[in-house]
Amino acid sequence: MTAKGLPVWLMLAEMALLVVAGPLITGVIQKVKARLQSREGAGVLQPYRDLAKLFRKGTVQSDSASGFFRAVPVLVLAATTAAAALVPVLRAGPPAFPLGDALMLLGLLALARFLTAVGALDAGGAFGGMGASREMMVAPLIEPVLMMVVFSSAIFAGTTELRALAAYRGAWTSWIVAWRAADFLGFAAMLVLLPAETGRIPVDNPDTHLELTMLHEGMLLEHSGPGLGCMLLASHTRQIVTLGLVSALFFPVGHTGATGGIGLLAGAGAFALEISLLALFLALVESSYAKLRLFRVPPYLGVGFACALTALALRIL
Amino acid sequence: MSPEVVQTIIDDLGALLLFTMILILAAGQIYRAIYAVATQSFLIAVAGAVLATATGNPDLWVIAGVTLTVKTMVLPFVLHRVVQRLNVRREVEPVIPVGATLAIAVVVVVMSFQLSATLGSVHQAITGNALPVGISLTLLGVLVMATGQTALTQMVGLFASENGIFFTAMAVTQGMPLIIEIGVILDVILAALVMAIMVLRVRSTVDADIADLDELRG
Amino acid sequence: MTQPIAETLLWALPLVPVVTALLMLTTSDRRILSAIDLAGSATLLALALVLADDVAAHGPRALGVLRIDDLGLVFLLLLALLTMAVSIYTVGWLKQAVALGNMRAEPRYLRSYFALVHLFVATMVVTVLADNLGVLWIAMEGTTITSAVLVGYHGHHHGLEAAWKYIIVTTIGISFGLFGTVLVYAAAAQGGATGMGWSEIMSVAPKLDPGIVRIGFIFVVVGYGTKAGLAPMHLWLPDAHSQAPTPVSALLSGVLIKCALLGIIRFQTIAAAACGTAFPAQVLLVFGLVSVVVATPFILTQHDLKRLLGYHSVEHVGIVALGLGFGGSIGTYGALLHVINHGVTKALAFFAAGTAIARFGSRDMTIIRGLFGVAPIGATLLMLAALSLAGVPPFSIFVSELLVLRAGIGGAHWVAIAIFLAMVVIIFAGLLHHAGGMVFGKPAAEVARGREAWSPLFGMMLLAAIMILLGLTIPASFDGLLRRAAEIIVG
Repeated sequence: MTAKGLPVWLMLAEMALLVVAGPLITGVIQKVKARLQSREGAGVLQPYRDLAKLFRKGTVQSDSASGFFRAVPVLVLAATTAAAALVPVLRAGPPAFPLGDALMLLGLLALARFLTAVGALDAGGAFGGMGASREMMVAPLIEPVLMMVVFSSAIFAGTTELRALAAYRGAWTSWIVAWRAADFLGFAAMLVLLPAETGRIPVDNPDTHLELTMLHEGMLLEHSGPGLGCMLLASHTRQIVTLGLVSALFFPVGHTGATGGIGLLAGAGAFALEISLLALFLALVESSYAKLRLFRVPPYLGVGFACALTALALRIL
Repeated sequence: MSPEVVQTIIDDLGALLLFTMILILAAGQIYRAIYAVATQSFLIAVAGAVLATATGNPDLWVIAGVTLTVKTMVLPFVLHRVVQRLNVRREVEPVIPVGATLAIAVVVVVMSFQLSATLGSVHQAITGNALPVGISLTLLGVLVMATGQTALTQMVGLFASENGIFFTAMAVTQGMPLIIEIGVILDVILAALVMAIMVLRVRSTVDADIADLDELRG
Repeated sequence: MTQPIAETLLWALPLVPVVTALLMLTTSDRRILSAIDLAGSATLLALALVLADDVAAHGPRALGVLRIDDLGLVFLLLLALLTMAVSIYTVGWLKQAVALGNMRAEPRYLRSYFALVHLFVATMVVTVLADNLGVLWIAMEGTTITSAVLVGYHGHHHGLEAAWKYIIVTTIGISFGLFGTVLVYAAAAQGGATGMGWSEIMSVAPKLDPGIVRIGFIFVVVGYGTKAGLAPMHLWLPDAHSQAPTPVSALLSGVLIKCALLGIIRFQTIAAAACGTAFPAQVLLVFGLVSVVVATPFILTQHDLKRLLGYHSVEHVGIVALGLGFGGSIGTYGALLHVINHGVTKALAFFAAGTAIARFGSRDMTIIRGLFGVAPIGATLLMLAALSLAGVPPFSIFVSELLVLRAGIGGAHWVAIAIFLAMVVIIFAGLLHHAGGMVFGKPAAEVARGREAWSPLFGMMLLAAIMILLGLTIPASFDGLLRRAAEIIVG
C-alpha cells in the first residue's frame, strides 16, 4: 500500500470524518467555555441538534437577493468540504494520485470566504455588507501568514502536499526535540492566527450578534433554514480543517503508525488528541481575553505576520 | 550533550527569544511588555543553564542563576512597582504604527542573519545562531527605546537590548569571565534604579512622563 | 621606583577618589568639604605625576585587570589635572551657587554632590587604567550612572530631562559597545587569547578573524562614540553639558568624552592589527567628518552659551577622530595633543562661562553682554578660551589642528581636508562673533561690577597658563610621552 501511496477511499473517509466531527469540536469548545465561566452550558452535541433543526426548516429570503444568494451556502459548503479532503487524519504519506496540496487547501478556504462575503453583499442587508467589508479587511492579513507558515515547513520537506509533508516530518521518532528554530516561530504565528482563522476572540466573537462586533456572524444574518445550516456546517468544517492543518504541519505524530486497522486507529486517536488540545487552547483564549477593537486587529495579526516571516527567513538563510 | 544538540537547543531558544521580542514590539500595554521581557530573561537563563551543562563551565551556572534572580524577578518587579506608582494604565499610541515597527523588525532580523551568514568562521567562535539573534535583539531593543513614548517602554527596550548581548556573550565558546558578567549585571541594576528614581522624581514634580519632556532642543 | 611600589600605586589611583568620596560623608561643613575635595584631587594629581615619571623610566606597569602605559598616561594626566582645576574652581563657585540658589544649601545635598563627583572621577580613572576590555566597559557604564545623577543634580525638570536623555542615549550606545566587546573577545578567544586583556588580545591580534573584528569595531565605535559625542550619536551631549552644574560640565566635556575616545583607540589598535589600518581609519574619518559638519550650524545659530560649548565639543571630538583617521605618527600625535588641548581649553571655557552666567543670571548670549566692563579678569579669560577654541595661532589648539591638517595632507585626503577647513573657518567666525559680543558688547541691563571670587579665577588661570604654554612650546618630557603614546597606536 505504501508503495502505491494512500488509496482514494482513505482520503474520502478522512474527509467524511472531518465533516462529521467538525460540529463536535465546536460543541466541545462551547462546553469548555461554559465550564470556565461557571455555567453548565449546552451539551457537546448541541451543534448537531442546531444543524438538524435548521435543515428541517423552511427558507426565508430577502427580496433584493438574487438567485446566486441561494447557491452560496451550497458552494461554500462544497469548497470547505473539498478542502477537508486535503488534510491528513488517519495516515500520512504521499497519496496515490494528486488531489491537491496545502496551497489548494488555502485557496479553497479563501474561495469559501470570498463566496460568503459575496453572498452577504448580494442580500443587500446593512449588517451583511458591514460584516463582509470587515472580513475582507482581516482576510488579507491572515491568508499570506498562513501561506508563509506552510512554506516555512514546505521548504524544509521539499513538498507542499500536506500528506507527504506530514509523512516527512513524522519520519522522526523524537518529533518535539527535532523541532527546528523556525518551527517554534511558525507555531507561534499559527497560535496567533488560529482565533482569527476560526472567527474567535480576540479577533471575532462567534457568540454575539451585536452590530459593532460581528465579523463572520454578520455575513450569515440573511441566511435561514437549510442555507444557514450549510453555512454553519461549513464554519465547523473550516475550523476543524484549520486545526488539522496545524496538526499536520507541526504534530504529525499519529501518522507514522503501522499499517492496517491498528495503525489507522492509532492515527485517529492521536489526531483526536491534538485537535482537542488545540480546541482547548482556543477555549482558553476565548475565556481569558477580550475582543480587540477592529483597528487593533491588524497590529495583533502583525505579530503573526512577523513571526511567520521570521520563520521563513530562518528556513531560507 | 553533543555539540549538535547544544546548537539545536540554542537555535530553538533563539527563535523563542525572537518571538518574545516581537511580543515586546507589539505590546500595547506596558504590563504585557514587562511580562514579555521577563520571559525573555528567563529564556536567557535557560540558555545559560544549557551551555553550563554542555561546557561544564561552572561560571555559566552562576550567570544563569544571577540572570534568573535579577532579570526575571527583581527588575520586572521594580518596573511593575514603578508602573503602579505612576498609575498609568492607558494604552499609548506609538510614534510609528505597530505594523511598521514589526516590518522593520523583520528586516532587522533578516539582515542580522544575512550578516552572520557572510562571516564564515563565526560558528567556531559563537555557538549556533546566537550571533544573529543577539544582534537582532540588541537592535530591536534600541528600536523599542527609540519608538517608545514612555519612560517605562524605554527601560523595557534597554533590558531587551542587554538580553541580546548576554545571549551572545554566553554562547561565545569560552564564555565571558565571570567577574565581567557580574559587573555588567550590577551596572544594569544600578542604571535601572537611577532611571526608576528619575521617573518617579519627574512625576512628582511636574506630573509628566520623563520621556515626554522635550523642552531642550536646538 | 621598584615594581611592587609602582603596581601598588596603580591600584591606589582609583581608590584615592573613592576614599575621598567616603571621607565626604563624615562631615557636612562646606569649608571642610572643599578642603577634602582639594586634598583628594591634589593627591590624585601627585600620584598620577609620580606614576608618569615611573612609566617614562621603566615602561608599562600592569597588575591584574589594570595597566598603565604611555597612552593611558596621556588621558590620566588630563583627568588628574582637570580634577584639580575643578576642585579649585568649585570652592568659589559653590559659595556663589548656594548664594544664588542654584545649589541647595542643605549639608546632605552638598555632601553627596562632592561624593558623587569623586565617584565619577574614580570611574573615569578606571576607564583610563583598564586593561581588561570588560572592566573598561563596566567603568564606562559607571561613569554614565554617576554623571547622570550629577547632570540632574539641580533637580528642576530641565535638568532631569537632560539627565534622562543622557542616561537613555548613552546606555543604548554603550550596549552597542558591549556587543562589540563581546564580538572582539569571541574573535580573540578563537585566536588563542585566554582573557579579555587588551595587551593579551593585542599579542594575538594579527591572527584574529577580520570579519568578526570588523563588525565588532563598528559596534564599538557606535557605542563608545555615543559616549564620546560623535555625531550622529551626540544627541544627549548639548543637553547634558548645558544642564549640568558648571564643574560637572567641565569634567564631562574635558575628560569624560576623552575617556570614551580612549576606549575607541584601544579597539582601533586591535582592529588595525587584525584587518589592516585602512578599515578603522576609514570608519573614524567618516564619523569625524560628520561630527564636524553636524556641529557647525548649531554653533552658528546657538543662543545658549553652555549649549554652544556643548556643540563645540562635538566638533572637537570630530577633529580628534579625524586625526586618528588620517593616522600616521603625525596625525595620531596631533589627535592626542588635541585631546589634551581641547580638554584644558574647554574646561577653561566652561569655567569662564559659568562665572559669566552666574553674574548675569542667564545662559542666553543675547543677555550676557559687555562682560569686560563688569568683570575684566573673567572676561579676558573667556576671550582667551574662545580664541583658543576657534584655533587662533598662539594658543595650543592651533598647533594640534595644524598637525591633524598636516597628516591629512600627507595622506592626500583632499575632500576631507576641504570640508574640515571650511567648517573650521565658519566656526572660527561664528565663535568669535559670539564671544566678541559677550565680552565687548553693550550690557543690556545694569549688572553690578562686583569683586571677582579668587578661587574660580585661580583655577581658570592655571588652565589658561597650560593652554598658552602648550601653544608656545611642548616640554620635552611631555613630547616624549606623546610620541611613545602615538607609537603604541600606530605600532
